[in-house]
Amino acid sequence: MSVQTVGSQEVRAITVAVAGNPNAGKSTLINAIAGTRLHVGNWPGVTVEKKEAVFEYGGRKIKLVDLPGTYSLSPYTQEEIIARDYLVHEKPEVIIDVVDATNLERNLYLTVQLVELDIPMIIALNIHDEAEKKGYRIDAKAMERMLGVRVIPTVATKELGLADLLKAIVELADNPAGHLPKRLHYGEDIESAAQAVSAKIIDGSPSLTGKYPARWLAYKLLESDDHVLRETTVDNSGFLEEATRHLRKAHGDDIESIMADARYAQASGVTHEVLKKPEFRKTEVTEKIDGIVLNRFLGIPIFFAAMWLVFKFTFDVSAPFAEWIHTMTDGPFKRWVAVMLGFIHAPPWTVSLATDGVIAGVGFVIVFVPVIFAMMFFITFLEGSGYMARAAFVMDRAMHAMGLHGKSFIPMLLGFGCNVPAVYATRTLENPRDKALTALLIPLMSCGARLPVYVVFIGAFFPSHAGTILWSLYVMGIVLAVVMGIIFKRTLFRGESPLFIMELPPYRLPSFKSLMIHTWEKGKHFLIKAGTYIFAVSILVWFLLNLPWGVENKKDSYLGKTGQIIAPVLAPLGFGNWEASSSLISGLIAKEIVVGTMGEIYVQKAKEKKETPTLSEDLKEIGTSFGDAARESLANVFSTFGIASISSEESAEETGERASLRTVIKGQFTPLSAYAFITFVLLYMPCVVVAIAMRQEFGTWKWFGVAFVYQMALAWVVAFAIYQGGRLLGIG
Amino acid sequence: MDMSMLKPGEIGKITKVGAIGPLKRRLMDMGVLVGEEVKVEKIAPLGDPIEVTIKNYKLSLRKKEAEGIAVEVIR
Repeated sequence: MSVQTVGSQEVRAITVAVAGNPNAGKSTLINAIAGTRLHVGNWPGVTVEKKEAVFEYGGRKIKLVDLPGTYSLSPYTQEEIIARDYLVHEKPEVIIDVVDATNLERNLYLTVQLVELDIPMIIALNIHDEAEKKGYRIDAKAMERMLGVRVIPTVATKELGLADLLKAIVELADNPAGHLPKRLHYGEDIESAAQAVSAKIIDGSPSLTGKYPARWLAYKLLESDDHVLRETTVDNSGFLEEATRHLRKAHGDDIESIMADARYAQASGVTHEVLKKPEFRKTEVTEKIDGIVLNRFLGIPIFFAAMWLVFKFTFDVSAPFAEWIHTMTDGPFKRWVAVMLGFIHAPPWTVSLATDGVIAGVGFVIVFVPVIFAMMFFITFLEGSGYMARAAFVMDRAMHAMGLHGKSFIPMLLGFGCNVPAVYATRTLENPRDKALTALLIPLMSCGARLPVYVVFIGAFFPSHAGTILWSLYVMGIVLAVVMGIIFKRTLFRGESPLFIMELPPYRLPSFKSLMIHTWEKGKHFLIKAGTYIFAVSILVWFLLNLPWGVENKKDSYLGKTGQIIAPVLAPLGFGNWEASSSLISGLIAKEIVVGTMGEIYVQKAKEKKETPTLSEDLKEIGTSFGDAARESLANVFSTFGIASISSEESAEETGERASLRTVIKGQFTPLSAYAFITFVLLYMPCVVVAIAMRQEFGTWKWFGVAFVYQMALAWVVAFAIYQGGRLLGIG
Repeated sequence: MDMSMLKPGEIGKITKVGAIGPLKRRLMDMGVLVGEEVKVEKIAPLGDPIEVTIKNYKLSLRKKEAEGIAVEVIR
């Protein structure tokens, strides 16, 4: 077809819905077809990921819509409801059903349900190479005959079969009537009941007949599907009873089970007909690996070793790059802008706004980019390889005790590095309840940004017991997470805990392309969405700190004034002065800023003028330091000890500042109030970036609101107990 | 006897799925049906959940979820 012809066909895209079981290689297939044209967003109103791609093929426009991976179309999960609603209401022209050729029967159970929709369909018989290696022989032609659909063997990871798939899409779209799937026969009793229901619909509510696939609607009404009954407002009281009388008499009252049996009978029938397996079954690689990885004694040590690697890779690989970005935005970029603004004689406040507000804000956003990318990469790898399900299997009992899911462990662990990627990592949890509860507890994991605060106070007050005090804070966070988890389970999240029932997919090496696309899309998403918020907030904070304009004494800035208002509330905790309160407020951006603000407030910094480097020196510095960052990142991969994100060296100037800060706070705090203060820093509200991450992951501020309230209360109560309890005991 | 009582290596045939509501529907969707053979592969290191083979694939579920599934041991 020539591209010049401008018909309605040319303009309108062929809509293709891609359905399939989880772990059938659906993502990989879509990535292989669409590549970078893939657009990742969310399904409206929910936080389930939606991937779409529009591209041209043979002069035709094709729109691929990736439906969430599901095992069935019964509305048990959010994913199933989304997939089903899309198929029924948006009526795509073609369905691609991605089927795992190594696990035919269970995959065909979904296929059978898709066939009920009467939409032209192509089965992508994926992972075909693995099936062949196992000695499976699948008769694709027989499968086509039995189901009335097109069957195309594919290997998404090797990009095999994709051209045939695309060709078939166009063929089916051009002649939908000639490619309708077969009507599968569910047995006399079911079919006659379904016919009775259909007749009733045509009589009683003719408006529904065009709206829903007829056969599908009849089956759903037979099953008394709540979702469909609500949506269609069909009055099922009388006629369903009548239509199903014979069916119930012959097979029992549980029509849902009868239907599931009938569908599985079809899936098994097709499987037995088309699949020839070798007589002797070899022990599979997956079983060999699981023999070790899920071993009674080795399972847990291996799990912790794997987690340690994930943590280390995520934070150590990204830390040098984050450091580099920070140095660049903080140094050369600020200098350049200041010089340029000075050139046009801009007033000093604009220079401050541009450098301390805008550039610092931008820098603050992009500092998170390396760690987000690294985290997404490893999480995607864990999921794609099949280990994520094993991790959940190994940890579930422990996590379930606090109302969580086995998969909650990884986000919680990442929380010790930084709560922000940890909140994003909750997307591995399917159930919204598990996800929300995990995100609520993540801020109790003491992140890397809180460490500088601990270090200053421990250095000042507990130098001889540094290790013990530091350790006590981390343990306190974990213990409180367990306690809060149990409390939440009995209050806010009362009721049945979500099911665990989960497939343990075969181990597979995820394709590099798929990994990269996924990581890139997630990182981009963060940059755009979260970046905007973070940027806005950092500008706001700049105003808070610098207004009214020209304040000499920090006490008179808006920040200082707010600090004065809050101070009395903190008095019973042992640090009720405006200096401490103001520092805590500034910590809402990021907790390590508490130290910086304290430095500014307590220590009258003598701002020395340093010699400004020239432009060429700056550029050279940027280049060489990026090289250093890359080298350091690589070295961190191999170095086995020390956490780079924590042990970054400080400049002599900074250490000097810290030393004088230590001397000053020694006069302001007692050891007891100091411990209460760092406890408060550990527990009080998540930082602004975490808030934004929660908003982005859940599509609502609700969970951040809950986290804010409970953490403030918890921080106050615990710090109060420590300070007042300590005083009663005569400490401090 | 219910599925949670099977020992690793034992194979049972499902005689009844007693669960109700979402649990039942989910089990059905995953192929846990009356007449199906199920082999217990492993018990997690902490004692729960369990891993079974059903319909030629590996499924894990908590013991509590397996309790409602009646089985008779065949091997």
